[in-house]
Amino acid sequence: MARGCMIEPEPDGGRGRGASVGGGPESGAGETVAHQLVARGVSRRYGWTVVLDRVDLEVRAGEVVALTGENGAGKTTLLRICAGLLRAHEGTVGVGGRIGYCPQATGLFELLTAEDHLVMFGRGAGMGREEALRRGRTILAEFDYPLSEKLVTRDLSGGTRQKLNLALALLADPSVLLLDEPYQGFDHGTYVNFWDHCETWRRAGKAVVVVTHMLAELDRVDRVVELPAHPSRVVGRSR
Amino acid sequence: MTAAIRRVLTMGEMHGRDLLRHHVAIGLLIILPLSFYASSASEGGDDAFVAGGVGMAFSISGATLFSVLSSREVDQRLLLSGYRPFELLLGRLLFLGPFGFVIASGFAVLMSVVSHPERPWLLGFAVVMVAFQAVPFGLAVGAAVPRELEGTLVLIGVVGMQLAASPDALASKLLPFYGARQLIDVGASSQGEIVGPLLLSLGYGFVLLVVARLFLARHISIQRHGDIAPP
Repeated sequence: MARGCMIEPEPDGGRGRGASVGGGPESGAGETVAHQLVARGVSRRYGWTVVLDRVDLEVRAGEVVALTGENGAGKTTLLRICAGLLRAHEGTVGVGGRIGYCPQATGLFELLTAEDHLVMFGRGAGMGREEALRRGRTILAEFDYPLSEKLVTRDLSGGTRQKLNLALALLADPSVLLLDEPYQGFDHGTYVNFWDHCETWRRAGKAVVVVTHMLAELDRVDRVVELPAHPSRVVGRSR
Repeated sequence: MTAAIRRVLTMGEMHGRDLLRHHVAIGLLIILPLSFYASSASEGGDDAFVAGGVGMAFSISGATLFSVLSSREVDQRLLLSGYRPFELLLGRLLFLGPFGFVIASGFAVLMSVVSHPERPWLLGFAVVMVAFQAVPFGLAVGAAVPRELEGTLVLIGVVGMQLAASPDALASKLLPFYGARQLIDVGASSQGEIVGPLLLSLGYGFVLLVVARLFLARHISIQRHGDIAPP
């Protein structure tokens, strides 16, 4: 069972998902579904402050999990640990494939264009220039960002930069998507579109973790994992 | 061409695009050593060559430092996408090395024409050595310090000491640009040996690259998680 976080099954039982963390790798229909992300006993401190205390998280292929919690609860820290960008002081993480990570902050080269970024990140994943641009164009078009714009990222709006971040996370077709409030700055249409895409990614068999504060959209995910504000208040706390 | 070489070439290309769009920074990169040189040249003597050379070390290592520090977060994501730390380092070197060479060559020609050193070819070589030393120095400082402020203070401290300390002082001999400074002196005055300072510069440059690689791995490394066994 999960330690350090509360996991609730979503009321949408029709999808056959929503088993709590630590449950067996079976869907509601009884078929075996592979876990794509398994974090066990993950702890992390910053100085003397314990941000994560033995947190478990498991996400299956074709499952969308919302990671919620108050400010400072460790959502971004947990996501960064799962992505491999931050070291856990305790615990282990296992991943069943390539990771796509979309940060909360922009994390881009200020004076490179979107095309430059696509080529650079695509090359890391073994893609040639044309392939990276073709795939990037397709992804960005789905989020209403035409790649015909040649602006450097410094001159893009916050929402547009975040669309690029999302495209970079999706570029190599990862099996595990870790998205840290990826819709920051999105207009309403793109925001709704984002949650529609979560459904598409679910159908494509991806394991998706979305850090979110948008409680109104939680009916669009399979499970909600709430991190407590502080590990000392974990025991017995429920949403 | 192997995938690793392609990744290094792409990183070099992108760092080049990024730096060349920093127009003000490039202007300062050229003006700074010129002002160091001009302020000393007006007084006459060989000190102007050293001041110009060390000023160039300051500007090129500064540009390299900011290139490393401003992209630390992106670097981690690039590692996640498939790059290796050493490829990120080589990518920067691939652009900054030739870039420093071009600036140093132009600067050496200018100093030779204006101040008539005894051995212009050696002065030019020494100034190019300064540039080649400055890139790994900027990489090493950028990889070792947490933020721009600390890095800038380290640069100011090292370059200031290199300028202020007597060439015979122990502190001067321990600093990274000592060998290049000696070569500049030899080029300006035609006195002194060449091989020792040259080997010292090359050795120092290599050590700085190793330091940069070690610290870069520490600051931007990512954890490669184990695979999940199929059910």
